[in-house]
Amino acid sequence: MTSSLRPSPIQPAARQQVYDSSRRPHPAVEELQELIRFWDLVVQWSRRNIKLRYKRSILGVVWTLLEPLMLMTILTVVFSNVFRFDDLGYPFPLYILSGLLLFDFFNRSTLQIVEETVASLGLATRIYVPRSAFAVATAITYLVNWAVALIPLAAIMLVLRQPLSWAILTIPFGMLLTGLFALGVGLLVATLGAFFHDVKLTYQVLLTGWFYATPIIYPPGIIPSNLQKYFLLNPLFHLVTLVRDPVILGQVAPLENWLAALGFSLGALVVGWWVFTTQRSVFDYRS
Amino acid sequence: MTTAADLAPDASRPSLRADSAAIELTGIEVRFSMPTERIVSFKEYVLKRLAGKLEHRELWALRSLDLEVPPGEFVGVVGRNGAGKSTLLKVISRVLTPTAGRVVVRGQVAPLLELGAGFHFDLTGRENVFLNAALFGHSSRIVQKHLHEVIDFSELEEFIDLPIRNYSSGMLARLGFAVATMFRPELLLIDEILAVGDTGFQEKCLARIHDFRSQGTAILLVSHQMESIADHCTRAVWIERGQLKAEGPTDEVLQRYSEGFAES
Repeated sequence: MTSSLRPSPIQPAARQQVYDSSRRPHPAVEELQELIRFWDLVVQWSRRNIKLRYKRSILGVVWTLLEPLMLMTILTVVFSNVFRFDDLGYPFPLYILSGLLLFDFFNRSTLQIVEETVASLGLATRIYVPRSAFAVATAITYLVNWAVALIPLAAIMLVLRQPLSWAILTIPFGMLLTGLFALGVGLLVATLGAFFHDVKLTYQVLLTGWFYATPIIYPPGIIPSNLQKYFLLNPLFHLVTLVRDPVILGQVAPLENWLAALGFSLGALVVGWWVFTTQRSVFDYRS
Repeated sequence: MTTAADLAPDASRPSLRADSAAIELTGIEVRFSMPTERIVSFKEYVLKRLAGKLEHRELWALRSLDLEVPPGEFVGVVGRNGAGKSTLLKVISRVLTPTAGRVVVRGQVAPLLELGAGFHFDLTGRENVFLNAALFGHSSRIVQKHLHEVIDFSELEEFIDLPIRNYSSGMLARLGFAVATMFRPELLLIDEILAVGDTGFQEKCLARIHDFRSQGTAILLVSHQMESIADHCTRAVWIERGQLKAEGPTDEVLQRYSEGFAES
């Protein structure tokens, strides 16, 4: 029992730490401070999620690569034979795949944020952890999965002899903005979803509608021109343009799409963060 | 015993005595506002709200509670089920914000409430150490530095790179305890003295807890077992219906508590 003979280590930074309930900053600010303090938890939790995904089956990695390919094949076959999109000026399979990857990310990450938030309640009502850490880790996890899925996309670009341009270097920024948008939406739905079980179900229905309202499996041009302006109100329309234009057109998306995407992403993040942190009593009283 | 009146006038004014306490609770009040009926769907909530049929019931979990625990003191908390003991722990570990009053906790808090929080069965013991420690706010850099101490203490050297799916419940608890106590906290919160592994290991855990105390860690033990409170605590606190019913030397408080039990 040597451990009891020498003084036990104290975590250096922890010594001076004082928690005073009467001097707490605004919840939105406090949560951000704590998230930074617990940043290692975010990293560990993301690594855990990624590890688990690949550990569960040998096919883990292969599956991540195969799934988008198979989806794309099905959709391309269906859509290029049922609807004849000729003379688009770009390869339709790449159009579909790059859009699908974005929507797939958005779909899964937001739903998983709701799931993780509810799942972490058992833990977070017993020991103190900034609850946003799990949501942020989930967003990071799915961003990594998305990045892995870009490999088959690149392969198809090569097969179709699509020219690669420097514009593809802007894709990560588009992904990052999508990540921020998904985090904001996820936090918002999670706050309500932690309390009411029908919120997630409603959101899932909304997601299906959102999928069809966004030009992913059809080119925007097939929509009557008087309705096309409504695309501009759809955050996912701008976001998908950011990550798709470099692939199909070999050029960086127009500035107005970048600005709109930035506005929507930051807006969603601020609203989601605000609701999630100020309504945290919703979580407390569920325990 | 400190009364509410002593502390109430100006809670923000620092006093000499208060500055040294590990925990300082002043006029703590936790009031839950619970819907009278359980509402599970958002649709139901909105409909009820629109119809003005949403009724709330006030529930006091803690009421005007004052408590101070100086460093190095081992305090036992007794009370019946639902008296507010768990709420008290939550308020101190900052999981719950009191609706009124002030909590001051100086230094790091180690909760021995949830051993092995966030453990995942498909990951190895080593991976789980990092994960679990991250939940306590320890960075992986510092965990790496003290990893061998954790493994030593848990006596799981041979198994540390196996998925914990293969661990026995005793092994899991040993690993959980070793991680939760890898650093000496300024405050240790215990919910029942833990039955960790075999008797030998239990003694080792208790030795570590007392070792912490002798180095200045304040300890709060919530328990239904009078013996463990009598064995370890220098002072005891009795909570009844969210309020402090008695506070003082362990024997006296336990005596009064068991008499109170006999009456009802």
